[in-house]
Amino acid sequence: MTAVMDRKADYSTFPSLNKQQARMAAAQLVAMRGEGRAVEDVILGRVERFYRREARLLDEERYGEWYELLADDLFYWMPMRENRYRRDERQEFDPDAMAFFDESKADIAVRIGRLSSGLAWTEDPATRHVFSVTNVEVFETPVSGEFETHHVFSQYRNRSEHDESTICGRRRDLIRVVEGGFQIVRRMIILPQSVLLAKNLSAFF
Amino acid sequence: MNVQHLIDWQFGAIDRRIFWDPAIYEQELERVFGRSWLFVAHESQVETPGSFVTTYMGQDSVIVTRGDDDRINVFLNSCPHRGNKVCFADSGKGRAFTCNYHGWAFDLEGALKKMPKMGLYKATPGFRMEDWGLKRARVESYKGLVFATFCEETPPLGEWLGDFRWYLDAVLDAEEGGTEFLPGGATRSVMNCNWKFPADNFVGDIYHALWTHLGGSEPTLGRYGGVIVDNKGSYQVSVNGHGWEFNDSFLGNAAAMGDRELLTYMKARQEKIVARLGEFRAKMWGSVASATIFPNFAFLPGYFTFRTFQPKGPTTTEIHAWTLVPKNMPEDIKDRFRRGSMRTFSPSGLLEMDDGENWEQSTSANAGWVTRNQKLCYAMAPKEEVERDDLPGIVTAGQLSDANQRLFYKRWAEMMDAESWADIPCAPSTMKMNEAVE
Repeated sequence: MTAVMDRKADYSTFPSLNKQQARMAAAQLVAMRGEGRAVEDVILGRVERFYRREARLLDEERYGEWYELLADDLFYWMPMRENRYRRDERQEFDPDAMAFFDESKADIAVRIGRLSSGLAWTEDPATRHVFSVTNVEVFETPVSGEFETHHVFSQYRNRSEHDESTICGRRRDLIRVVEGGFQIVRRMIILPQSVLLAKNLSAFF
Repeated sequence: MNVQHLIDWQFGAIDRRIFWDPAIYEQELERVFGRSWLFVAHESQVETPGSFVTTYMGQDSVIVTRGDDDRINVFLNSCPHRGNKVCFADSGKGRAFTCNYHGWAFDLEGALKKMPKMGLYKATPGFRMEDWGLKRARVESYKGLVFATFCEETPPLGEWLGDFRWYLDAVLDAEEGGTEFLPGGATRSVMNCNWKFPADNFVGDIYHALWTHLGGSEPTLGRYGGVIVDNKGSYQVSVNGHGWEFNDSFLGNAAAMGDRELLTYMKARQEKIVARLGEFRAKMWGSVASATIFPNFAFLPGYFTFRTFQPKGPTTTEIHAWTLVPKNMPEDIKDRFRRGSMRTFSPSGLLEMDDGENWEQSTSANAGWVTRNQKLCYAMAPKEEVERDDLPGIVTAGQLSDANQRLFYKRWAEMMDAESWADIPCAPSTMKMNEAVE
């Protein structure tokens, strides 16, 4: 059992970004527009394999193993979407604005703490998840061993009888080469919905 | 349809059809949402002339905008020509709202200003521009919160809120300088439930926290003994159907956000807030508490999430939520509240995620004819009524009871059955509001 699955974990000791670090990470994600050099196919293949495994770990609720894929300096962000006129000059993704997720690794650990508490009644019986990742593009960054990726995901959930929700979106990641694979350093999850057409986001993306 | 027989508020037995029946829902749109003061915006969302947000009053789409005279206007977001929306943005800034269909254009007060081929209308006998503006609502504010109603008979907002204002100051006037909504608009999500389930939950149901929220609170409160709620030092208060259940812990709710820096900050403010509000109300600031302003505007002290439960049909509700903070709070602390309220009470919130399925299943079970012809039990009696001259409203001892929820449904039935406002009572205000703070 990993530390994150320990029910009495003290999450305040878990890795966390301060506000300034989080804002820098957000700015980095906003600036990521796929402008670096595309990687060789062999690396693309490794990255795609990494995302397929990540999706499977989430589908199988293997949260402890999934947590190991997150870097200690993780910034994990799902900004909200607003309907705005094209003439509107405000920046589309504002790191100071309310978001659906705006997390450090410690915050993810807290969420896993809820799911593994055995007390989250609305996850029992279990929700069934199917996560897929497509359209993967991988680009080099100025930092050796770190790659920028853009891809599309679809996350289908079904629980109870007729309760279902499909959430599709785009992700922008910064991933880092580590022993045995990659870790996620930055993740921006971009939903197309302005009103979340689901009752909750009780899942990871 | 008369609904009095569906509500036994004295004992606490509620007919389940009120959460299902389309005819009852239609009557709610007319008699409850159509006649109540409904929350539409915080003043900070429309700070300068021309800035606007769009929202809903019942199922009516409305635009909230600030005019050049600095007053806030609320009007229907539907062109009187063929009915299309005139504004498709959630927020923004502009000088006019122009319908996409035929180009009719309206100013910041909703008045019709021009349209293509205007001469054709000028030549039309009996047509007057001033007859075809966007229908305007009455607008009033209380300490930053803007309310509106299309009903001419509804008493002024002050009477509608009554003595509830005295309690509201515990979150709206705890600190000098007023409040604001944090930027970014509302988090919006859809639940397949009747709007009254979340509304009655916030008006007085702390009882559910002891069970529903065991999972969501385990990571932050588990180490410290979990969710602690009892009837010592706690109360419910109800005024005109508005209700607040709370204890005297000052920051009990805030603790569930699991941010020690935030709690340290709040503790450091306690002395100042006591000086401003007095001992009793100061303890309500961030305590274990929840409240609903009748019918569908709710908030949680401590997390400072403010939300509307927007009706979208008898079995569908949209939750729109914002975070309210004192304007003068340090930016870093505001940001901690932004993240704290997101992590607890938003669609991704550890605690909110526990709630939705309960309300959805409480609603959908009524598809069964036999099921819907049963009663629901709202019978948990309060310990006693509290008679204190310094505490206005109907105050009961102990936050664990169904007292507020019963009074919420009493109010609901009064509004549903009354032909006119003459038949809807408002408790007289007893507190001098300006004396409370300042």
